[in-house]
Amino acid sequence: MSNIAGKAYAMNVITPLKWLTTLRTRLIFWGAGKLPSTTLGLVTLSLIHYARWVILRPKDFPHLGPEQPKEDLQYCYMLFFSNFNGSWDQYVDSFSSTIPTGLDSFWYKNIKYTNSIPMLPFHRYITWNQIWTDNYYNAYPMASTNDVKSAQKVRQNLIDFARSTANATPDDFQRQYNKLLLSLQHDLSQMGLNPVVSLSASAVDRRLGKERRGVS
Amino acid sequence: MTTAADDFLDLSDIQGIVVKAYSRFGFPVARYVLFRIDLPAHGRKFVVGITPMITTGVRWTDPASIPSAATNIAFTYKGLKHLDVLDASLHGFSDEFSMGMKARRDIVGDTGPNHPRHWDPVWHNESETGQHVHILVTIDGKGETEVEARYRQILALLVECPGVVQLSGQRGGGSDDLPYQPAAAIPPKPEEAGFPGGKEHFGYSDGISTTFFKGCGADPMEVIGEDKPVKGDPRTLEGWAPVAAGELIFGYPDEAFEYPEAPGPPLFSRNGTYLVYRKLHENTGSFESYLEAEGARFPGGKEALAAKFAGRWRNGAPLATFPTQESADRYIAELSALQLKVWAGQASPAEQARYQELALQLVALDYGDDKDGARCPFGAHTRRVNPRSALRFGNKKAFADDPGALSNRRRVLRRGLPYGRSETPARDDGDHGIVIMIVNADLSRQFEFVQQQWITFGNDFKLANDQDPLPGNHGTSKNCRAGGRMII
Ligand code: HEM
Repeated sequence: MSNIAGKAYAMNVITPLKWLTTLRTRLIFWGAGKLPSTTLGLVTLSLIHYARWVILRPKDFPHLGPEQPKEDLQYCYMLFFSNFNGSWDQYVDSFSSTIPTGLDSFWYKNIKYTNSIPMLPFHRYITWNQIWTDNYYNAYPMASTNDVKSAQKVRQNLIDFARSTANATPDDFQRQYNKLLLSLQHDLSQMGLNPVVSLSASAVDRRLGKERRGVS
Repeated sequence: MTTAADDFLDLSDIQGIVVKAYSRFGFPVARYVLFRIDLPAHGRKFVVGITPMITTGVRWTDPASIPSAATNIAFTYKGLKHLDVLDASLHGFSDEFSMGMKARRDIVGDTGPNHPRHWDPVWHNESETGQHVHILVTIDGKGETEVEARYRQILALLVECPGVVQLSGQRGGGSDDLPYQPAAAIPPKPEEAGFPGGKEHFGYSDGISTTFFKGCGADPMEVIGEDKPVKGDPRTLEGWAPVAAGELIFGYPDEAFEYPEAPGPPLFSRNGTYLVYRKLHENTGSFESYLEAEGARFPGGKEALAAKFAGRWRNGAPLATFPTQESADRYIAELSALQLKVWAGQASPAEQARYQELALQLVALDYGDDKDGARCPFGAHTRRVNPRSALRFGNKKAFADDPGALSNRRRVLRRGLPYGRSETPARDDGDHGIVIMIVNADLSRQFEFVQQQWITFGNDFKLANDQDPLPGNHGTSKNCRAGGRMII
């Protein structure tokens, strides 16, 4: 069990809110969807794959069969789900530094929400309400979203380049090649392993590695 | 809520090394001395004895008030334990501090050639206590004589407290067993004689930028380019605001309007901070030969390549403002000449004004008009360790009220000096590098973050795993050449 897979971290946070509050929150979500400038700060944070907020009513919770005891839920719940690159602290702090008012309007009057600044109570609020990830799979453990975006760009540009230079003269080829390199200069960095963002996560990794190799 | 009183720093209770970059006050020589405490009572006696010598942060308003040597002191976690500091207080320290830097090696990238097993012997011979370096005393002075005198004065205290032992085992001058770490500024080249700041062994002018924080007592004009970018023009006072003191010192509000986490009771930690001590060897031979080889193929030559690595020309001129060597050289020549006149008291009012204007250009910069990194690459050392507002990637509307939102809480203070000599820069071995001391209130959020995410990784700059070309850990391959990649 780990929230980390390769360069990605999965964050689930579920926080209760009153039914009446959900009406306002839905309005805010709708407004943010219509007005992309409200989430511009978020979009600029290149460490985020995506972030999603969903409101769950008590009846949205799965009831899988009669053997599952019925729950008596008093609140609606807001599910926040996000994948990102980097450490927990880096992520949470980036949010509260760059879009503090946005966060405060999304969480607004969720039960015991502390506001995103000051930082320590906000950290406590998130930690308290975070649900740990049981299974997490990453198809490209060495890639961050930036790396994937760059790879896609390089691929597309190369395909286009191959097409457009198929019949080029050597001089023209050189010229276009130089142009291609220039346009891709921010996309040619070297990919590798994630740095060790948490010593406990790296201890888990080491242990798993040993288990796989049959060493105790 | 912060109050005006929170912006007032108790400079007489804050150590001088936190508030002052000593080399700027004419202290080009230093010694860093390490001690172990065997008997708590003697340890405390030593601390009491050295206290009158400790230099505080009180402003030196006129040159006559500057002492001939400055002394400062820092403790490791184990050191505080050996002084019998109460457990309740010790528990208030962060894990990063109580574990010590060796245990954090995977976080800060001290692997391969940087692994603690290659550190100076003084960090090795550890007893079962885990950490046997307990106290660091720094002595900075106007010259070798002044430093030696202060050193003797401190060692004399040990006669009364034999339960405190000076640790030898620092490497230097062909020995593995020096009783202290000597360090000294490398003077600028003759043609840059008036340049404010010294050199380091790769040939760069260093000690130019500092971090301006609330209450630090420096000239308010120094905030320009030295701190948080705000909405205004980065070449003027309107473009900058001082960082909150709590980012760097315990007991004052930080950028999130909180008091930094510090051990209680407040009297114990207030006005204190965390200091990171790192001795970084510089492979001057490889560096120069790489510059020669690659510089021959690089437009602009080896100096331009060196500038792309650092974000500053080796003469100190910032690349973002002076994109060509010619403009950089002209600028530094004029600045240095005027500086000499100002020092000699011979500058006319017009020259004074011109000098102020030029001195400002050294630091008054942001990357707003270099958003693609065409002048200063995204991966250049200074753009990495202090990106200013560059993490907006040219998106001016993003975090518009706080352009430095992603960098303001990563600021640190840099202290320390180069050590050793590199008369034969053609060689890597030998004894030369920098002792860098980083001061901050949150080791994990500030030093470790910068060291890990910005120096030994590149994702925040959209540079995948590329590392900082200067202090990054580029490992060594079979033929002893470092690896790594930087795109310029
Ligand atoms: C051998 C290793 C290093 C070398 C050769 C080096 C060199 C330099 C140079 C030449 C400058 C520009 C001069 C100046 O602004 O004062 C600089 C600035 C700086 N360095 Fe380093 N450095 C090294 C290691 C580090 C490390 C390990 C850190 C932090 C963990 C660091 C943090 C900084 C900061 C914060 C600045 C100021 C940047 C700014 O405000 O624009 N440096 N360094």
